Amino acid sequence: MSFSLDSLSAVELSKLIKSGGVSAKEVTEQAYSLIESRDDKVQAFLELTEDLAFSAAQKIDEARAKGEELPALAGVPMAFKDNMNLIGTHTTCASKMLEGFESVYTATCVQNMLEAGGIPLGKLNLDEFAFGSSTETSYYQTTKNPHDLERVPGGSSGGSAASVAAGESLITLGSDTGGSIRQPAAFCGVVGLKPTYGTVSRYGVVAFASSLDQVGPFSKTVEDNAYALQALAKKDPRDVTSQNITADFISQLTGDIRGKKIGVVSSMIEAKGVSEETKRALRKAQEHLKDLGAELIEVELPHAESAMSAYYVIGPAEAFSNLSRFDAVRYGHQAKASNLGDQTSHSRYEGFGPEVRRRILLGSYILSSELYHEYYYPAQQVRTLITKDYTDAFEKCDVILMPCSPRTAFKFGEIDDPTEMYLSDMFTVSINIAGNGGISLPIGFGDESGLPIAAQLVCPAFKDADLLKVAHALEGCYPKVEVAKIMKAGE
Amino acid sequence: MKTLSEVFKKYEAVIGLEIHTELTSLDTKMFCSCKNSSTDPVNQNVCPVCLGMPGALPVPNKDAIKSIVLAGLATNCDIEKNSMFYRKNYFYPDMSKNYQITQGPVAFCMRGHLDLDVPTKAAQERVDIDKEEDGSYIAHIGITRIHMEEDAGKLNHIGGVDGRIAGADHSLIDYNRCGVPLIELVTEPDLRTPEEARLFMQKLREIFLTIKISDCSMEQGSMRCDGNVSLRKRGAKEFGVKTELKNMNSFKNLHDGLEYEIIRQANVLEEGGQVYQETRHWEPSNKRTVVMRTKETADDYRLFPDPDLAPYDLSDEFIDSVREFLPELPDQKRDRYIADYGLSKQDASELAGSLEQSSFFEEALGDKKEIAKSLANIILNNLAGYLNAEGLSISESKISAESISELAELLSSDEISSKQAKDVFAIMIEEDELPRVIVEERGMKQVSDKGAIVELVKEVIAKSPDQVQQYKDGNQKIIGYLVGQAMKASKGQGNPKLINQTLREELDKL
Repeated sequence: MSFSLDSLSAVELSKLIKSGGVSAKEVTEQAYSLIESRDDKVQAFLELTEDLAFSAAQKIDEARAKGEELPALAGVPMAFKDNMNLIGTHTTCASKMLEGFESVYTATCVQNMLEAGGIPLGKLNLDEFAFGSSTETSYYQTTKNPHDLERVPGGSSGGSAASVAAGESLITLGSDTGGSIRQPAAFCGVVGLKPTYGTVSRYGVVAFASSLDQVGPFSKTVEDNAYALQALAKKDPRDVTSQNITADFISQLTGDIRGKKIGVVSSMIEAKGVSEETKRALRKAQEHLKDLGAELIEVELPHAESAMSAYYVIGPAEAFSNLSRFDAVRYGHQAKASNLGDQTSHSRYEGFGPEVRRRILLGSYILSSELYHEYYYPAQQVRTLITKDYTDAFEKCDVILMPCSPRTAFKFGEIDDPTEMYLSDMFTVSINIAGNGGISLPIGFGDESGLPIAAQLVCPAFKDADLLKVAHALEGCYPKVEVAKIMKAGE
Repeated sequence: MKTLSEVFKKYEAVIGLEIHTELTSLDTKMFCSCKNSSTDPVNQNVCPVCLGMPGALPVPNKDAIKSIVLAGLATNCDIEKNSMFYRKNYFYPDMSKNYQITQGPVAFCMRGHLDLDVPTKAAQERVDIDKEEDGSYIAHIGITRIHMEEDAGKLNHIGGVDGRIAGADHSLIDYNRCGVPLIELVTEPDLRTPEEARLFMQKLREIFLTIKISDCSMEQGSMRCDGNVSLRKRGAKEFGVKTELKNMNSFKNLHDGLEYEIIRQANVLEEGGQVYQETRHWEPSNKRTVVMRTKETADDYRLFPDPDLAPYDLSDEFIDSVREFLPELPDQKRDRYIADYGLSKQDASELAGSLEQSSFFEEALGDKKEIAKSLANIILNNLAGYLNAEGLSISESKISAESISELAELLSSDEISSKQAKDVFAIMIEEDELPRVIVEERGMKQVSDKGAIVELVKEVIAKSPDQVQQYKDGNQKIIGYLVGQAMKASKGQGNPKLINQTLREELDKL
């Protein structure tokens, strides 16, 4: 085979397949051989689905042979966070609770990617039930950051970010409730998009916090991400919060952002907790935007600092209720017990890890009737204020630039205090709280750490096409995102 | 204290009802497209949504929203244009998600009411209200709200007695009912007697049958009622401590359970004791209520808005379009029967209060307005008496609208007497014959021939010299005896009116 998945974007690969330059089968074979050599180190995959992948590849090759028109991402190796149902796979949420659980239906987002021509390579590791920022709470395995195997890939969609950074998959899906796509994308140096709430169907994605969860793609390029979003953004009659999206995300990627107004939140970029190399990288990004002809405008988000507090009320409250269905009656880990009460409590105690139990207890406490008006209700009021902050800011600008993560990827075990871990998401949660779209874009490597640094761009609700347009233009100011170097070493 | 009348001399009962009705008329469940039938073979009507599989999401059934709005309009409720679904969190294995989707402080239907015509007999329990001359009264019962929710599945306990959980060694779950659309109506604490509670439930059931949202089967459990009851001394303003009653799955059980509980509470109070806030189970076979659970163990349901479901906005256009589906309701029907057919208020109210009876009445009536009174009479007395005794519904009996119509014609045209009508009805049941055939074959026609009646009357006068003398001495009442004798002599076929009239004429000639 004369082609290399490492050097192709998803869009380039699909064009190559369509032109007959390579078959989907060959692509799938190479993808699995890359996984075989790399995933021992990275441990992004929880399950490989060769049967599904080769059968999808065969269909594409047959369709091409018949001269049929192939879908936009035909033959692109893809993989899915393991909280997304796909018939023929297990969906474990990286929890003992769902060990061996077989999906009985396919999530709409996964289905949309398969219909766009994706080759389903397998399912990817995550923090247990997506609760975490490092993928360390997975019950099954520890996913490594492909840029430094001693460091975390971020989380909770750590497997999805690491798999793309390692060159195993070209597009992966993750879910983002408080930063779970953008932060691992930042840590692993890939593009990660959390679309506006309501853009992508949540049907079939195991819920963490229903009012905050949104599915989005990881990729090496903004263009790949736009193609993936084009396939994902569809009104789903099975999810009443999904909206009818008519935007064209691809045609906007012209590189021309002259006159675009970019809001800059200096108080965030220059905040105390942000590492110096991150600050420097973000200042550089501002210069690039200016050079591209965009207008930089200072904006403020006065209530954004309260987002974390609101998030740790709303998130656990919804999670507590969403995770109630795991009761060992119809499926899931079942403890030996002599009565129903014990069966429920023992199964849940054994099946859920400490972080999951912590959030369930927190949510249960927050929602108790005597405390509802002390926590849940004020959190919703804060939510309204934060949403208004963004609305006000977007009266002055088209897209906002801010940090994604205060620092680069940390080492395993480096953060063992849960509340300190929660601060990883300090710049990402307010976007989930307000429901806007946000993208994490690699802006080079830290001049001290040598690790990937990201900028976060944020758009008004349902202006994700604008977001991709600006991200695409800014991307052009940096060297192409390459597969992590250590991955290629020794191959 | 042993009877309600004893209790009610000193105490006032305050009763509120919570009534759950499955919307059995809908094709699909509340939040998924599974078939809406809880009686099919177990676990046949299930899908990822109603089984609570990971990642599945609810989508509201628009027809269910139509049904609840219809129910609200039919019970004089305000329809809330902005209401939300909430989650009620509790663990129970028949509840697949371990939370029930229900509604929060604002339900689709708020602030309604029903006016009950409490007929003479049922009115006796109530002592503190102004009544009509006939002893009846109207009770105005407020409806707090009607909200939308989903039903839970069914547990089948295996190995115990009568399928009870006590003594069972394992339980099986049937999720067919899980997610079945359910509406819950909550009344204000406006009911004062078990009779009022029963009448409210009956009236509500008739309304729900009329608007065709449910089969309203109390036996099958598609309509279920819980009652809250407390006592306070007459004249007191403060409510007493209430108990909640469950398992009142028939009109009789609703009445009897409340009656028992009122008397029980009265005796507790009389003995200087305290009524505890608790849930009690009515045991019809033992005729008593027993404690199910006490307030101390009450659950905290952690209600909060369901983030999977957006706030529901109902447009005026939608509400108006539902209003167009509203059929004639029992109260309107009652008023029409009084105005158009001249029925008495009590007859009109009773007929209109039963969809089955009123439909049958109108079918039998056709355009023969003149027979309406006789027809009402036959349906409410002869037919209802027979059906009650046999435990049948009209459709289960072999009585046809045509034959009842014919019987009413015979009665209203004076061809037969009401006594004869009763006999003809009995023969109709026995022999499945048409009334005219029965009357003719048996020569049962009422004798209205003046000459024949005069002969008959003269004979009676001749045979009853003592009574005739009494009449002449001014005892007008004795005429009844003489009419009776004449009727007897006519073998029941004489026209009683004519006999009466002729008797007076002949007696006055003497």
